[in-house]
Amino acid sequence: MMKLIVADDSRLIRGIIDKAVASIGFKAIQADNGKEALSLLNANKKDVSLVLLDWNMPFLNGIDVLKNMRSDERLKDIPVLMISTESEDNRIKEALNIGAQGYLTKPFTPEKLIEAIELILNSSKSQKTTS
Amino acid sequence: MKKILGINCSSKVEKVLADLIGEKGQMEYEPFHDRMVLEGYQMVVLEMGRKEEQTVQQIRKLRYACNFQNIPIVLIHGRKKYFSSQPYMIAGATEVLSIHDPSAACRQIINGHLIPSREPLAEEFEYLEPFIKNTCHILQTMASIDVKFKEVYFSNAIRIFGDVSGIMGLSGNADGTLVVTFFWDLAKMVVAKMMGMEEENVDAELIHDGVSEFINMISGSTKREFVGKPYHFEISLPSVVVGPGHQIGHLQDTSVAVLIFQVGVHCFALHVCIKPKEHRVNT
Repeated sequence: MMKLIVADDSRLIRGIIDKAVASIGFKAIQADNGKEALSLLNANKKDVSLVLLDWNMPFLNGIDVLKNMRSDERLKDIPVLMISTESEDNRIKEALNIGAQGYLTKPFTPEKLIEAIELILNSSKSQKTTS
Repeated sequence: MKKILGINCSSKVEKVLADLIGEKGQMEYEPFHDRMVLEGYQMVVLEMGRKEEQTVQQIRKLRYACNFQNIPIVLIHGRKKYFSSQPYMIAGATEVLSIHDPSAACRQIINGHLIPSREPLAEEFEYLEPFIKNTCHILQTMASIDVKFKEVYFSNAIRIFGDVSGIMGLSGNADGTLVVTFFWDLAKMVVAKMMGMEEENVDAELIHDGVSEFINMISGSTKREFVGKPYHFEISLPSVVVGPGHQIGHLQDTSVAVLIFQVGVHCFALHVCIKPKEHRVNT
């Protein structure tokens, strides 16, 4: 089973994501803050295909987790999908510029989430094939 | 003519009310029962019973029956000895009056509560409409629930009569608070639908979390629509308050718009208190 990490301080959102990604064969490893997400990422870096990050979280926010990942040789190639209520264009651009592969705003349907995940994974596969 | 409902009123109290209200209102009387319908009434007057706990329970049930509408609940009594009105106010009473109080003062208080809430100004609708649209959209998207916007009124009262509220503090170009408040049953139903699970499996923690996430989504999706406007705000992490009759302080000297939404027979309310830093909206 493929693995992804979902970091969101809302148990409800983690539950919704868990259910949605299970339907496409993913096991979601859950973190309720950015700090926990980073330690889970370090422990599972070889098995994780994708990271889903909320923006506003306690201890370490999603954008700081993303910055940490992109500056770490061991984590920099793991794709990230930001999932946030922060929906202004400048926020989306900021996350994409730092290195997120996709950005999904809340509220979302499970279908939209799966679509966004598949888009990132397909694009990541084709990049690997090209290189 | 304003409709006023007198509940559990003795003939002595009925006489006092006839004198206080006169031709300003049309009194109707009913004994208390568990399925009171308060829609269409501008005020409820309940005569205090002998047992405090029973009266408190009746006020709570009446407050639920108000469905977040701005209906004053006036508790009237004939006691001569001092007692604390606090348990009744916490339960949801708006005012506690004695039949022995000077009638001119009582008349003034009752007339004050009968003044209708004002309509929103066009300027206020400018910031309220995105909240209405996004609140409906979020529940439709995340829980497939059809929500109808019912009404809006302005209140400076800080008491909120839901069982669970999600609060978002606003900063940036505009200060304020956004509060969404639910009665427990509707909160449970919404969370169950969002999670795609049976209501019996929804625990209290999940309800707190769901209400918190709901106010987070309302705030986040609406702030986007205020980019470049005085109402643009930044959000932080939401908080949750639980318990009937809880109190939440909004900004002083700022209108609090109470937006009521309907889901089937249930209602929930969104309090919007927002003040642009360079532009104050007065009541």
